[in-house]
Amino acid sequence: MSDLSQMKFLVVDDFSTMRRIVRGLLKEMGMNHVDEAEDGAIALHMVKNNKYDFVVSDINMPNMNGFDLLKAIKADPDLKSIPVLMVTAEARKEDIVLAVQSGAAGYIVKPFTKATLEDKVIKIMQKRAAGG
Amino acid sequence: MDPTTAAASGAAPAASPEVFQQLGQITRQLHDTLNHLGVMPKLRQSAEGLPDARSRLSYIAKKTGEAADKVLNAVDLAKQDHADISAAARKLAAAVAADKLSAGASAAAVLAFVSQVEAASGRMDQHLTDIMMAQDFHDLTGQVVAKVVALAIDLEDSLVKLLVQAAPSELAPEPPSGELNGPVVNPEGRTDVVSNQSEVDDLLASMGF
Repeated sequence: MSDLSQMKFLVVDDFSTMRRIVRGLLKEMGMNHVDEAEDGAIALHMVKNNKYDFVVSDINMPNMNGFDLLKAIKADPDLKSIPVLMVTAEARKEDIVLAVQSGAAGYIVKPFTKATLEDKVIKIMQKRAAGG
Repeated sequence: MDPTTAAASGAAPAASPEVFQQLGQITRQLHDTLNHLGVMPKLRQSAEGLPDARSRLSYIAKKTGEAADKVLNAVDLAKQDHADISAAARKLAAAVAADKLSAGASAAAVLAFVSQVEAASGRMDQHLTDIMMAQDFHDLTGQVVAKVVALAIDLEDSLVKLLVQAAPSELAPEPPSGELNGPVVNPEGRTDVVSNQSEVDDLLASMGF
């Protein structure tokens, strides 16, 4: 598995509080490179112009929501290998199924714990390292 | 036509001018309130009803209350750890200043103090993480507040239409398909939503994920 401390993360959420929480938790986990975007459109622009290793995204956001961001990333041959973990308050089963079918690497419902985020990120990276 | 005749014929009784005056006052109050909130420019439809707004407001009260409790509990624990360290530091400093300790005893006391500081520091770091995590209420309640504000805007719009047309307005429209719902404020008894991460993981596992 890649050295987590060297990986570049992008946290996407329209609420600055949640971005700070996720960024803080990732830093506690040893991730030193964490950027933020406040909606899907800004995130897509950043992903296209920077080399990110992992995206953590909310779903319900203005301009471009998390589903559209996920689909845009997965539709781009240069970006589709980037794991996208959805962290959202959307708790409908159909949203979870849609996220997975659209290529999400994982799905976390808010409110969540540090342990849940850590577990999902590590499992996704392990799966990626194993070629999954 | 008197009210009795109107009722017998199935026609709606004519509302008195006072009713429309009151409706006008209510609409004006709502308009002013929304202006104070700074949300007038974005008129949005809301399909939610007033009972739903009540449960959403209850959800906000519950989430903010829980967050406040978590923060205050964590602060209490952190302050206790801080007080313990301060007391231990004062005790050690006093012993060293009074030169009551032998070299060996002094080293042991310092090591014990360092160990205590390290343990307390770890606990305080956890308390700070708990305080940070408790702030997630802002995101969750913010989404719910946006829904309630949208409802208020819709309500105002309906009242304005009612006044303009002087006739009963249509009820709130059906929610547009595909609309994202935000936090589920009443998950009890629902089978279309998950209520915790464990249920998400079970659903994903059932899909072979």
